[in-house]
Amino acid sequence: MRVEVRGLSKSFGEVRAVSDLGFTVEPGSVTGFLGPNGAGKTTTLRMLLGLMQPDAGTATFDGAPYATLPTPLRTVGAVLETAFHPARSGRNHLRVYCRAAGFPLSRADEVLAQVGLTDAGNRRAGGYSLGMRQRLALATALLGDPAVLVLDEPANGLDPEGIQWLRGFLRHLAHEQGRTVLVSSHLLSEVEQTVDRVVIVGAGRLVREGSMEQLRSGADGAGTVLVRSPEVTRFADLLRADGTTVTTEDGTLTVAGTTPAEIGRRAFAAGVELHELRSRTSGLEEIYFQLTSGSEQFAAPSPVAQEAVR
Amino acid sequence: MIRLVRAEWTKLFTTKVWLGLLLGGCVMVGGFAALLTGFAGNAESGLPGVGTPEFEQVAFSQATSATVLLLILGIIGMTQEYRHRTATPTFLAAPRRWKVVVAKLVAYALVAVPFALVLLAVNVLVVALYAGARGGAPSLTADNVEVLATSGLALVIYALIGVGLGALLRNQVGAIVGALVYLFVVEQVIRSIPATSGAYKWMPGGGLEAMTATFEGPDLLGAWAGGLLLVGYGLLAALLGTLLAVRRDVV
Repeated sequence: MRVEVRGLSKSFGEVRAVSDLGFTVEPGSVTGFLGPNGAGKTTTLRMLLGLMQPDAGTATFDGAPYATLPTPLRTVGAVLETAFHPARSGRNHLRVYCRAAGFPLSRADEVLAQVGLTDAGNRRAGGYSLGMRQRLALATALLGDPAVLVLDEPANGLDPEGIQWLRGFLRHLAHEQGRTVLVSSHLLSEVEQTVDRVVIVGAGRLVREGSMEQLRSGADGAGTVLVRSPEVTRFADLLRADGTTVTTEDGTLTVAGTTPAEIGRRAFAAGVELHELRSRTSGLEEIYFQLTSGSEQFAAPSPVAQEAVR
Repeated sequence: MIRLVRAEWTKLFTTKVWLGLLLGGCVMVGGFAALLTGFAGNAESGLPGVGTPEFEQVAFSQATSATVLLLILGIIGMTQEYRHRTATPTFLAAPRRWKVVVAKLVAYALVAVPFALVLLAVNVLVVALYAGARGGAPSLTADNVEVLATSGLALVIYALIGVGLGALLRNQVGAIVGALVYLFVVEQVIRSIPATSGAYKWMPGGGLEAMTATFEGPDLLGAWAGGLLLVGYGLLAALLGTLLAVRRDVV
């Protein structure tokens, strides 16, 4: 099932949260929906799911808006904020939505097992940890065995093990079962290993849409590399000779706009002894930062700038 | 629609709010019934004595003191979706939101029936035992049964009004406090001022009094007209809530 967003716009008073946004989410792949905080990701997902009314534009599932889907929970599963009645147990929370959608109550136990919450099913959801709440939200989304899965920052509150599990789970749902998976995050590094395609937004507008491969190829040589060597000065001069940006500090070099392989090749050619050579930021992160920089709605001034004001 | 109604019952009976309100209602109704029976025939209280039809009709209408609790039950049933943000999963399961409001109206009206029966049973039991001990056990005459029936109906209708009010106001604390202030302050003032007391019979409190009053009071509608007026208020609030509040963005 294909998800299509076309010309979507939404304002809150003076603030334009989403502006003429359009993208497509294909089945059989995991699509990352990326952007800094306040870029309009959550607003877009809520409009997609019929929880908010767009000012303009459409969001459809194989051509049908969410509100017209005959069996919404069987079609789309959504993990938004973690919303539970604190006094209701996780199992009973799931049973409510089994009732509402006409699923057998046994589905509640099945999805609890699927997300590893079986033992906590009878405890009050108010006593759950953040990670358990995320798992319960995911279980709620899985109740209807949906063709499309929409997740808003699902890794929030999960421990590293949980994030690892979620990655494998989402890839399995998309690649082996052919489902459509859209997962939002404000960190590219968090979903870098999970997603096949990316939709990057900044200040409510589409910044980039394409495959991870395309993004990676554009990112080649855009990272920064850290070098430690007893011959820092000679090597720095050598690199600077052809205009490469190099900063030196305490016997280490930071080289921008290159790859570890390139630096290693040049060190080898010049016979420079290296004690350490590693990537400090991947080109992908740099590209993502460049694409979205200046689009943060609530950007804090840098500490340096604050110092200058004083 | 039946699925959504059953989902509402699952929501209601998987937390303990219903139990607290029902037990509170039993204590309240039992207490008032006992108090009334205790002071029956007391010259200073002005109450008719046990064994008289007047006393029995007043005593059997005490379950209506719990209308406020069924109102709160209905308000909580609707507004908890916003308070605990479960409106998101609820509206994801039922994207045509008016269906959720209708399901809640049906679910709470039906659930109010056994609630009302329990409260009426407490009322009858306390009066029968206490008045019986004072030498005037009441019997279920046609008039007494009618008082009990209209009292029970009023309880059910107030749960309906609570759902409608909750849909309109969305804020749980605001809706409960607002409803209490309105019923116990605003309407009492309107009722007592001669210039405005004529309008009182068209108000929710006037409708309730028309259904259940056994004393001589202000000018009121008939019992059934009063009941219809109350149902009208509940459905009007639900309709306005669906059109104005429930369709708003869920953030």
